[in-house]
Amino acid sequence: MLSRVGWVAVLSVAAVFVAGCAHADKEVSIAPLVPAAGRVDPGLGPGTRVLSSGPGYKGSPSWSPGGDRIAFTVDGYVVDRPTDSEDLRRWTTRDFIAEDTEWISEDTLMILGAAPPSGTEETPSSLYRARADEDSLELEKVEKEVSAISPGRGGLIFALGRGAFESGLALTRGSGDVRRLYSKSIKGRVASLSLSPDGDEAVLAVRPPGDLETSVLHVFDLRKGKGREITRLDGNQEILGTPQWRGQYLYFVAGVENTPVDRDGSEPLYEIYRVPEEGGAPEPAPGVGEDFVAASIRVSPDGERLAVIGRLNTKSPTNLYVLDPLAKDLTAVTTNEDMEIKTGPDDLAWSPGGESVAVIARGTPSTEPEVRAAPADRLLRDFYNLYEIPVNGPEDAPR
Amino acid sequence: MRDIVFWLSGAALAFLVTAGAFLFLANLATAPSENRLNPDQARGESGQAVDLILDRERLSSLRSLPDQSLDLVVENEGTTQLSDVNVTLSVSSENTALSDFRYYRQTVEKIQAGEAARVRFEFDLPAREDPVARAPTANPEPSREILQIRATTPEGNSTVRTVILPS
Repeated sequence: MLSRVGWVAVLSVAAVFVAGCAHADKEVSIAPLVPAAGRVDPGLGPGTRVLSSGPGYKGSPSWSPGGDRIAFTVDGYVVDRPTDSEDLRRWTTRDFIAEDTEWISEDTLMILGAAPPSGTEETPSSLYRARADEDSLELEKVEKEVSAISPGRGGLIFALGRGAFESGLALTRGSGDVRRLYSKSIKGRVASLSLSPDGDEAVLAVRPPGDLETSVLHVFDLRKGKGREITRLDGNQEILGTPQWRGQYLYFVAGVENTPVDRDGSEPLYEIYRVPEEGGAPEPAPGVGEDFVAASIRVSPDGERLAVIGRLNTKSPTNLYVLDPLAKDLTAVTTNEDMEIKTGPDDLAWSPGGESVAVIARGTPSTEPEVRAAPADRLLRDFYNLYEIPVNGPEDAPR
Repeated sequence: MRDIVFWLSGAALAFLVTAGAFLFLANLATAPSENRLNPDQARGESGQAVDLILDRERLSSLRSLPDQSLDLVVENEGTTQLSDVNVTLSVSSENTALSDFRYYRQTVEKIQAGEAARVRFEFDLPAREDPVARAPTANPEPSREILQIRATTPEGNSTVRTVILPS
């Protein structure tokens, strides 16, 4: 009996060793990435729709007036595509360097950018018009030395340089032709601009003559053709991106540029401020925590809410939020942990109906070679790509 | 004494059986080996599939220099011999505004069922220079290199691997 039990024990030990130490030959496959179309959850929440795929540094998304197409820049050139298909359409040659693009009709894009530079001399940006029905990629130059553009009522508003220290404003018609050129100049260079909800005034972020930072907020009355200074930031603070007009207040992101990095290696901190349209001292936007680090803001089409890309604090991941200043409520639209949402000042755009926001994001790049089981032009997370994120009412969204 | 040995042996046997069961279950979920990258394949509708196996260490050793080489294994996962399997390698930049796209091709004459063939590509992987005057807004980041490898059988079944090399 004893020897039989002993043999059973020895055999069991042997079986355990054989089962435990032998690795299976068949390897476990890494799941392939999802196709680059349709609604997926790439880490940005359910209901997110993919609007681009593959390599390329994307930026400046812009929805067509009807909301069925979206234009954006890829490594400087301009493309657009329907939101429900992958039929990409190119608007400029690959050597064009676009900074911003805006639709003025369903088939016309206004593009701020520069043609290929000659030599090492920097080429100032110009405003170009491109039509979808033209076969070639030739652009029609509308105005030279343009520094900023924004969609306007029935056309476009843009700022152009006048000499070394002054700027002017102009409006275009829906066709893209210049409709009105304002004679009154603005001291300094207009870095960005946007319209008031009624479209009668424009708020401008201005870099004063001789300054390195964009530190002045102007309001320009488009009916009277004159502007006024609203506020001027102290020290070496700068305004980041495009100021937004909501209700009686002007909202903007500002902070100290070129701050030496913190001990933890984080970047300079920017906050959301607001100032009354009559002028005065900026104050932190209500509803935003004091630790919040803002990157970019954009007012919703109905003028009520602000889409905000930022972080709850320096250690939090970047996410999309919606700020309702009246209710002093900041709602998280995404609760992403592992995607890098691009934080450029023009890297978010509300859909025309205000039901979603386009953002640009990618997974964290690896320091090791990455192998994927799909062609490069189908990959999503490995490169910056566009996503349409639904924005629900505040009561539906996660906090 | 005999009872004690009996109970001890029984307890040991029960322990070993339980441990064996756990080890067996653990083996079902064993991760792939470090040196063998084998994502799922993009198979065709019908016909035999091929697999592409890349060496992670070799990929890590690639440098932005001329005369780089990449060894890979093409595996016939089917039950019949494959002939004339085309294997291509394309090298491009993450920056799509750069038009410097290179393409290499080789043909594997025969791969027996269940067997594998080794393929070596020798190619240039030069450091790319973005256009001198590109504005910071165009692409401020250094671009990564992208290798796309595709094995295609005469029946049209293909398997693709995209390798993104860190910048």
